[in-house]
Amino acid sequence: MDFLSDQPPWFVLGPCLGLLVVGLLATLNVRMGVLGGWSDLLDRIDGRAGSVSWKGWFFLGVILGGLVFHIAAGTTTTGVGDGYGWLSREFSPPVVGAVLVAAGLLIGYGAKTAGGCTSGNGLGGTSFGSPAGLASTATFMGTAVAASLLIGVFV
Amino acid sequence: MNRARPAVVATAFGLAFGFLLSWGTLTDPDTIHDMLRLRDAYVFLMMGAAVAVGFAGIRLLTRRPRRAAVTGDPIVVRTDAVQRRHVVGSAMFGLGWAIADTCPGPVAAQLGQGLPWALCTAAGITGGVLLFQARRRARRPVRRAIGQT
Repeated sequence: MDFLSDQPPWFVLGPCLGLLVVGLLATLNVRMGVLGGWSDLLDRIDGRAGSVSWKGWFFLGVILGGLVFHIAAGTTTTGVGDGYGWLSREFSPPVVGAVLVAAGLLIGYGAKTAGGCTSGNGLGGTSFGSPAGLASTATFMGTAVAASLLIGVFV
Repeated sequence: MNRARPAVVATAFGLAFGFLLSWGTLTDPDTIHDMLRLRDAYVFLMMGAAVAVGFAGIRLLTRRPRRAAVTGDPIVVRTDAVQRRHVVGSAMFGLGWAIADTCPGPVAAQLGQGLPWALCTAAGITGGVLLFQARRRARRPVRRAIGQT
């Protein structure tokens, strides 16, 4: 499908994501978030949880969404042809892998501590009007912009 | 209520989310890097529009008491007060986001698209989640012991 090879306008994609937040609340009475699914599946794997909750299924759905997009569009949108972003332009593959693992640790531990990631706090929490969601979003946005501008000074 | 229905609905919402993240190229680290370097406003505008629609939609949905269509629970919009952990955790998360130019949702969609690098980020996130859970479990008995004294 050719239209999938073009990035949709922000005023189309944004409202669609906003409607997903509303839809999850309207159907399941939950706040959207991806990282909760990560822990949900880990709890199920090590036997701490008896079954997979909606969070785990939502997470598996996101993986499926990437796969369905790949099949429907006949291409990926991961920049895979160019390696992995600025990291691949600066470092050798083993270093890129190690940096991604370390960054993943910060992402996983930090977002669990904060009770949400870009989807949980950034879309769900802010849409709910939660003070914690707003503060978290302001903090991770501010930190990420400052860190990226700093990275830009060196690379 | 059929227990399978929430799983099917959650999977469908997740599928739509992963598909839209992919279509919007939010799975491309350069899209996120350009946003965070303030070179491209696309993701900021898109997130702003998402929150505006989400916020307005939730206000409309909760104007009067309703029950969730699938689970039948009364719909509750839970909000939390700001605590230190929200700021500390989000600062750590923001640093990781800036380095990897991705976050848990796009990593999951990258896995679906078959990006090998996503396995590294996913391994790190899994390690971070496990570390958090282990530390929380280790702290709980101490809190209980303090509560008993």
